[in-house]
Amino acid sequence: MVKEILIGVFRIKKFVVSFSILAGIILMGVVGPIVYAVVPYKIVGPPEARPSETYPLGTDAYGRDLFAQVLNGIRTSIYIGFLSAIVGTAIGVVIGTIAGFKGGLVDDLLMVVTNIMMTLPAMLLMILVAAYIEERNVLYVALIISFTSWGWIARGVRAQIMSLREQQFVFMSRMAGLSDVKIAFADLLPNMASYVFMCFILLASAAMLAEAGLSMIGLGVTSGYSLGTILFWARMKEAVRRGLTWWFIPPGAILVATTTSLLVTATALDEYFSPRLRGS
Amino acid sequence: MSLVSAENVKAYYYTSAGSVKAVDGINMNVNRGEILGVVGESGCGKSTLASTLMMNVRPPLRLVEGKISVDKYELTSMKRKEIRSKIWGTLISLVPQSALNALIPIKKTRDIIKDVLKHHLKNLNNEEINNLAKKRFKELDLPIEVLNMYPHELSGGMKQRAVIATSTLLNPKLLIVDEPTSALDVSTQKIVLKMIVDLRIRGIIESVVFITHDIAILRQISDKITVMYAGKIVESSTANEILENPVHPYSKGLINAVITPEREVKRRGLSYISGQPPDLLSPPIGCRFYPRCELAKDLCQKQEPHLTEVRRNHFVACNFVK
Amino acid sequence: MMFSLHNLTKVFTVGFFRRRAVKAVNNVSFELDKGEIISLVGESGSGKTTTALMILRLIRPTSGEIFFEDKNIFKLKTGEERKKYWRQVHGIFQDPYAPFNPMYRVDRVLYQVFNLYDKQPSKKEKDQIVKESLSAVGLTPKDILGKYSHQLSGGQRQRIMVARCYILKPKLILADEPVSMIDASTRAGVIKLFMKLCNDLKTSVMFITHDLGLAYYTSNRILIMRRGEIVEEASAESILEHPQHPYTKRLLNDVPLLYSKWKDL
Repeated sequence: MVKEILIGVFRIKKFVVSFSILAGIILMGVVGPIVYAVVPYKIVGPPEARPSETYPLGTDAYGRDLFAQVLNGIRTSIYIGFLSAIVGTAIGVVIGTIAGFKGGLVDDLLMVVTNIMMTLPAMLLMILVAAYIEERNVLYVALIISFTSWGWIARGVRAQIMSLREQQFVFMSRMAGLSDVKIAFADLLPNMASYVFMCFILLASAAMLAEAGLSMIGLGVTSGYSLGTILFWARMKEAVRRGLTWWFIPPGAILVATTTSLLVTATALDEYFSPRLRGS
Repeated sequence: MSLVSAENVKAYYYTSAGSVKAVDGINMNVNRGEILGVVGESGCGKSTLASTLMMNVRPPLRLVEGKISVDKYELTSMKRKEIRSKIWGTLISLVPQSALNALIPIKKTRDIIKDVLKHHLKNLNNEEINNLAKKRFKELDLPIEVLNMYPHELSGGMKQRAVIATSTLLNPKLLIVDEPTSALDVSTQKIVLKMIVDLRIRGIIESVVFITHDIAILRQISDKITVMYAGKIVESSTANEILENPVHPYSKGLINAVITPEREVKRRGLSYISGQPPDLLSPPIGCRFYPRCELAKDLCQKQEPHLTEVRRNHFVACNFVK
Repeated sequence: MMFSLHNLTKVFTVGFFRRRAVKAVNNVSFELDKGEIISLVGESGSGKTTTALMILRLIRPTSGEIFFEDKNIFKLKTGEERKKYWRQVHGIFQDPYAPFNPMYRVDRVLYQVFNLYDKQPSKKEKDQIVKESLSAVGLTPKDILGKYSHQLSGGQRQRIMVARCYILKPKLILADEPVSMIDASTRAGVIKLFMKLCNDLKTSVMFITHDLGLAYYTSNRILIMRRGEIVEEASAESILEHPQHPYTKRLLNDVPLLYSKWKDL
């Protein structure tokens, strides 16, 4: 079955294009800093140098290599994006499944918690928490973001479970004596796989942007570089007003490219899976 | 006197996998004042036939060949725009399958009627259209209150009757109905069937093409029956002839598979036809019923039978019939 | 008496702001003995499917009891007892698409019932039993095993559900509209299969249907249900010959028949 999926999916032009871009960016982030082994926070050249052979993306106001910063930034941003997505989706799926399947009081309680989490302004919460924790490494930032964003996943999963629960194949499994937990995992979750996957992707791209936002106002990672921190420094040194385009454009462009290609890949996958699931 | 005549009509669906030959060489004739029943199972092409007869043919469906004449019009040589203004609603009306679900839920019945009629009766204002609707509803014993109700407030049977009444407001000569009662319970079904027969008795319509999978309904209301299989007509005659002297093995099988609460059914037993209808993407040469037929011989695999008259007005497409 | 319902009632509360009580099943009682075939006949909204779901222990009644072999089925405490019940009382539903989880191959629907066995047979034994049951319902195992539900026809799928029952050899099968979504020409095959099941395994069958024809053809006894209540109960022949209740008479009168014409159209 996996082989069929791989062959089928690589036939879709949209998928091939966006996946290539995404894969390229991820590759840059993973392999880049190793290949281009310049330390991003060390001063290596003249300040505000334009892009050239020695400095592919020029240098910032302190003379630090921007290309190295961008490569490290990609690594961090993607890491945070996917980590937040994994944690956030996991929390959302577990809570949504329990609430949808059990119903009654359990459902009501879990939904109260979920609703509170959803109505709290995420950015504000992130800023508050971030402001209180002085040393913020990548893990903390990822967790902060995921804790504030699992709400809508839980709601969506719960709704799907509630409708799937009444399907006849669930009756058949129940009559075969399968326990609730087994039914939830074996019957219900696989049917939601494409939905959960989409949630994961959306959360990943939202998390990357959220982290960039936090970093831009100085509340992102304190150790290491992310695309947001580059923009932070660019803003601090008034790069826009002073026309230092090689400083502020690459990080933004890469962010946009990453999130867009992520979304288009996911959309193409969703399109591929939907008609198949309906058994056409 | 013939109202509708279809000659060698072929209508295919063009898909990325190839062409589905849903209607593949149909010759049909509906006389004035006649109720013709078309019976067949899922995938035999009867719904496609319905759309094709009134030339509601849009891609991926395409009319590949054939001539269709209704009254004095030759539909196959007319442009869609002309058909829309001169034929649909006024000469031929189609009540498709699940028409019940096609009613716009946010409009009252009378507004839906208004939308439908405004196109044809451009010189009448809203009030006159309303009065026309009221008069017709009264004539057909439909409560006028229905006009002021929303579709979700109506029962399935009432919705279907409202839909049929609306489709026949302009007195079309031919009414085509596709499975009008399959979602209704038995008593409501009878009321709807009565209404259709009534429409003809009152002269509001002239002829009916009734498409269904339920041959018992056709026994009750139709004058002629046509049996369809895999895009082709296999047998056609008067209702009595088909039900009492079926010739084609498929017709026989279909009739003997019907279960009704009657002693005779218990006595004769139930028969079933094993196998599946052929894939219409690449139908076999020769007789399409061959793999499932008890009379089948080698000849049938190569030679496609054509409709031949075996008795007066009784046509069968089978290689064993002369 | 193998199976009995006593004053079974199910009330649903519907509505968002103004909650209304809908009595889907109202004080239904009847019995079923070993080897009997009965039909519960009613139109949509009559409560017959709700009754079936309660008999299958998939929803709970508001009041009333159901006894199977003198045990109250809603008072079964342990998982083991429940499994034992489903081993002996099983269901087949109307929509041949629905009982199959589209993510899995159809084999799952057959193999999962081994969970209800007391003693788990070996893999080889399981394979053998599955193959035999598929043959018993007229299917070729290699055409069926390994496929997904969308690759098979409605008739094939429904037969697989009967094969599932062959694996279990239950004492009672509930068939809710088992043939209404199948083409007429293949219907008889599935119906005959039920009769065969009854003959071979001495299984009792309860048909839940709106089709009086199906009920008359297959059953010893027919129960007519309307708006949650049983309005008439008699042998199949009696219902046909001497219907008592006006609703029954109306049903018989309105069914389109093959061998006689309506006089009042």
